[in-house]
Amino acid sequence: MTDKEIYQIWAPYGKKWTDWVRPVPFVGLREHSSKYRFSNLNVPVVALEEKEREGAAVIVDLPGVESVKVGIALAEIGFRPVPVYNGTIEQQGARATVDNQAVGVGLIWGASALSAIEIGEDAPPAFLLDTNRLNRFKMEDALFDNSWDIYPQDLPSAEYLMKSGIYRIVIISSRLSRDLAKILYGFQKKGIRICITDGYESPRNIKIRRPIKKD
Amino acid sequence: MRLIPIPREEYEAYRLNLMFDCYKWDPQFLDHNTIAKYALVITKEEHEQLSEWTEKLDEETRAAELVLNGDRKLAGPLALPKKLSKELQRMDNYDPGGHVRLMRYDFHPTTEGGWAVSEVNSDVPGGFAEASLMPEEARIRLKESSLWYINFGDILVKAIADKVPEGGRIMLVHCTSYSDDRQVMQFLGDALKEKGFHVIYGAADHIHFREKQAHSILDGNEGKLDAIIRFTPLEWLTEIRPKKWDGYFDTTTVSCNHPVAIYAQTKRFPLVWDALEQKGVCLDTWRKLLPDTLEVKDAKGKEGYIYKPACGRVGENISIKEACWEGEYDKIMKDVKRHPKKYLAQKRFYSRPLAGQDGEQYHVCLGSYTVQGKHAGYYARITESQRIDSNAADIPVLIERSGERDDR
Repeated sequence: MTDKEIYQIWAPYGKKWTDWVRPVPFVGLREHSSKYRFSNLNVPVVALEEKEREGAAVIVDLPGVESVKVGIALAEIGFRPVPVYNGTIEQQGARATVDNQAVGVGLIWGASALSAIEIGEDAPPAFLLDTNRLNRFKMEDALFDNSWDIYPQDLPSAEYLMKSGIYRIVIISSRLSRDLAKILYGFQKKGIRICITDGYESPRNIKIRRPIKKD
Repeated sequence: MRLIPIPREEYEAYRLNLMFDCYKWDPQFLDHNTIAKYALVITKEEHEQLSEWTEKLDEETRAAELVLNGDRKLAGPLALPKKLSKELQRMDNYDPGGHVRLMRYDFHPTTEGGWAVSEVNSDVPGGFAEASLMPEEARIRLKESSLWYINFGDILVKAIADKVPEGGRIMLVHCTSYSDDRQVMQFLGDALKEKGFHVIYGAADHIHFREKQAHSILDGNEGKLDAIIRFTPLEWLTEIRPKKWDGYFDTTTVSCNHPVAIYAQTKRFPLVWDALEQKGVCLDTWRKLLPDTLEVKDAKGKEGYIYKPACGRVGENISIKEACWEGEYDKIMKDVKRHPKKYLAQKRFYSRPLAGQDGEQYHVCLGSYTVQGKHAGYYARITESQRIDSNAADIPVLIERSGERDDR
């Protein structure tokens, strides 16, 4: 499969939510991910009861390939996985703060898995994020900082979500990341409920405090 | 000027190729598709007029920045951020011949039948790939070989190659955390690599300056640099700690753009025109095309003026009321009141929309580049709103050949 074909499996043209799939990790995907080998690429079980999925969109915020695996698990229970990874590749020869290429292996593997799953036209979205994006600490000035944040413009607006019948966001992560908190605070203000689960326990409602303005 | 639709059956492949082969990595912004379903076609006459104006504007701008740099007292009304102002004296050694000067002038068709210029992107204009590869992709989809385009990338690469020794080391300075910045740099980097240059992608703080020469400190890529292509805006540079960025202002390493760009980058640039004209600088083309611009306080009680931030980018925080999102207008006005020197007042012009195929109307911002003073191509965006901002869609610009018109 070519990079374009892999992208098209994740983002079939004209299907709901696929416009938000970021092309960034798919461009040069085969080349960048060729040096990776993962043996444990299997689909985990996601503990999300049917009633917990009602009117919900999911944001998976897990490290690297784990987020892709959970995305496939969510596809199996009726969600449309939407990769919104947006990290760039470091300059050749430089050490970087984040390994943004690792999700690529997951995307290639996930494309095969995904092509065997029939996703409904009205499937709600499950946005996939790599928690490692926030590894911003530079031991030395010389390192290449390819950490990245998710911004409001990378996701649909609260209005669009609500118009599409989404009134709840379930975050699958060990904690609420600060960049997501900024976006979800805005959603919360517009009336969308926010819940979080580590993937094992039932999602619990959270109230996000107004984020501090300064970045 | 008109819009021609990309055939519906071709749009999917068009979009896919733009993302994968033409560095368009940000095809969606919030709920908006940023790849237009049209191409923008301008007539030969429009192209000739725009290209002539662009070169004249550029000549005036470069003359103005030289005078401002030689007599910085004149720059007072620009009210540049303090951190930047402090460094301006370093630019005493600025030699225009030692650098590559790139600018983009934003034109808008008006309801009065003419054109208005809204600003010059003097510091770090973007849209490189959209102005270079997108038109060819559109031509293929439209099966339209009678329309032509200017490949901006070829012109910029040639200008860089004219200044940098063969195989030279060039750092493409950008915010390495932003893929939107990287897509611009990656396009240029790949084009420079093809010409045999050693390309290094790095951040502004990956350059240290020794004896006015730029050196890369990026891990595994250390050493002297032959050129700096900067996509990090100057006002962001000044936020970097520790302060190593002052060397950008007096480096003799080939720079594109050199920080001298700041004089025209601020949207308050027109506020020094009277003084510049007294010094003999001709600004006739600017006067003709840019709507009347005033200090905020001088616009009080005057009808038909809007407020723009001096350091605004991509149409942000411009007080066009009907184009603002909920609460935005009040927020802008509050900030204008609090920081009037960070804004300017400008007579509003009314953009003449172009018709889409289903009766929808689109406003156009047609960016026209110069490289080393010569016209170098177009980058355009369209939107249904009067304000061309981040919600706008990129659209390729094609040019009619003499007397030819395809009315399909």
